[in-house]
Amino acid sequence: MDIKKEQQENKLTVKVSGRLDTTTAPELESSLQESLDGVQDLTLDFSDLEYISSAGLRVLLSTQKKMNTQGNMRLTGVNEVVMEVFELTGFSEILTIEK
Amino acid sequence: MKEIQCELQDNRIWIRVSGRIDSGNAGAVEEEMRPVITDETKTLPVLIDAEDLEYLSSAGLRIILRLRKTNTDIHIINVSSDLYEIFDMTGFTQMMTIDKAYRVVSIEGCEVIGQGANGTIYRIDRDNVVKVYNNEDALEEIQHEREVARLALILGIPTAISYDVVRVGNSYGSVFELLDAKSFSKILINEPERIDWCVAEYVDMLKRIHHTIVPEGDLPDMKVTALNWAEFMQDHLPDESAQKLLSLINAVPHDHHMIHGDYHTKNLELTGDEVLLIDMDTLAVGHPIFELASMYNAFIGFSEYDHSVIKRFQGFDLELATEFWNKSLRAYLSTNDEETIRDVEDKARIIGYTRMIRRSIRRHGLETDEGIKEIELWTKRLIELLEQKDTLLFDRNEITVIADNKNLPEVMEFLEAQLKQKDCPNKTLMQISVAVEEIFSNISNYAYTSDKGTVTIGVRFAEDGSSVTIRFADRGKPYDPLLKEDPDITLSAEEREIGGLGIFLVKKTMDEMDYRYEDGFNVLEIKKSLV
Repeated sequence: MDIKKEQQENKLTVKVSGRLDTTTAPELESSLQESLDGVQDLTLDFSDLEYISSAGLRVLLSTQKKMNTQGNMRLTGVNEVVMEVFELTGFSEILTIEK
Repeated sequence: MKEIQCELQDNRIWIRVSGRIDSGNAGAVEEEMRPVITDETKTLPVLIDAEDLEYLSSAGLRIILRLRKTNTDIHIINVSSDLYEIFDMTGFTQMMTIDKAYRVVSIEGCEVIGQGANGTIYRIDRDNVVKVYNNEDALEEIQHEREVARLALILGIPTAISYDVVRVGNSYGSVFELLDAKSFSKILINEPERIDWCVAEYVDMLKRIHHTIVPEGDLPDMKVTALNWAEFMQDHLPDESAQKLLSLINAVPHDHHMIHGDYHTKNLELTGDEVLLIDMDTLAVGHPIFELASMYNAFIGFSEYDHSVIKRFQGFDLELATEFWNKSLRAYLSTNDEETIRDVEDKARIIGYTRMIRRSIRRHGLETDEGIKEIELWTKRLIELLEQKDTLLFDRNEITVIADNKNLPEVMEFLEAQLKQKDCPNKTLMQISVAVEEIFSNISNYAYTSDKGTVTIGVRFAEDGSSVTIRFADRGKPYDPLLKEDPDITLSAEEREIGGLGIFLVKKTMDEMDYRYEDGFNVLEIKKSLV
């Protein structure tokens, strides 16, 4: 997994590439934790994310909960495989996913 | 009695000192040495045996220092603890090799609890055993075994580490703590009804060994050893068979996983409820076919001609040995398919016969009628097998790892390699990957409370390739994930709890999911259609 962050004032874009699984999810979680202060507009760019498991969903849920208190969060570039996981778990209803 | 004896032996000056050496007799002692230390023997190595030396004053130390001016290579052995302290304080231990005296242990009347290729294990008291080496000059072997045992322990293999080296008669021994231990051979003899339990533990440990990765160069490569055997056999087999043997071994890929090398039921000890592996000196790296070969030999091969060998060695008969071997091989390969089992056995026998024939010839087997008949039998069978087999490799469609999330990449690599054999849509591949990860991390997080145990993951395709079944087996606490309630996926982000989604995803994406608790194993199977 690879994480790239780009910040402009209170707007943060995080591009996550590769696999978001049990071994890599903690890294994304701590990376987001250290950057979210003061962020009102969070974009998670998943266009190069190949794979997600429940460990990744947990990070998304806790991030969504945090962003609900301080601004907005959206996901872009979600591929078919990752989308299926969101749909099966009801995450497509609680996340803002842009086509 | 003289304080000193000094003579020339095999290009070495041998000195034996006894009693007290102080300023009162130092001059006389040095005088005794003079005839041996001459212009011609200058520069020769010196061995000083201090077994009977009680005391050495500074006058005595000065004799050694003067000797060192002409003969720089001085080795002092059998030094008592008190004297060693003097040598240490005065810096002598930095200048020359000084070995402490070994504690002397008697094995008279002690129970023999194990017998290995290079030594016999005796119980010396309730908590301790000593392994006495056959070879009188065994210090190097002992050192080697201590080192590999330590390496194995660090790599996660439960084993006993020797804490002392002792003198036993003319030989050496290493002492281990082994609380109230029983070997698996002994259990099989006294409680034959526990055979299935023994097989399960024996195979579990075997898989653990075979999935332990060893840093490059830390252990000898079994393939190199086997190639040496095959070279030896060039003079004892028809050309065609000899060539085939070499090429089959050459084609076995280098493998950096551990093998024990002498894995039979005397080398597995039950102490309390813990199973320990002992006799570590044959530890190596290599393909498991080499291990199966030595296992086959231990249980069957050595007894093929003379059926009583097994009884003398293990204490049980060939019938029980054969049953144990068959059950173990079946469990190791996770299959009941008789054809697969016999195929792997035959491949193991190729290496097995090679090793036994060479061993017997080197031990003068060709000098007795019985020896010749035995070698002829093994050779005939080896030649037959070499005609039948074109590879020594066999399909290992399963992986065993310690149930720990850090091993997930290894599991995923194995899974992908298996699934690549079939034409499987990317979406299905991803679903299976997610399912395997979820179940694996569930087992890693919850199955074992204290010490991490293993989990075995096997992949099996339907004969027509239309579906795949993946089986997880762990020995953790019984847990049926199917009983877990599904999370409510209609709740809002605020209301939803973190967690509980993994198994739910597996249920949603797989076609079948089945759990049972069987022989102490949690067995979970998932099935997915590939078309």
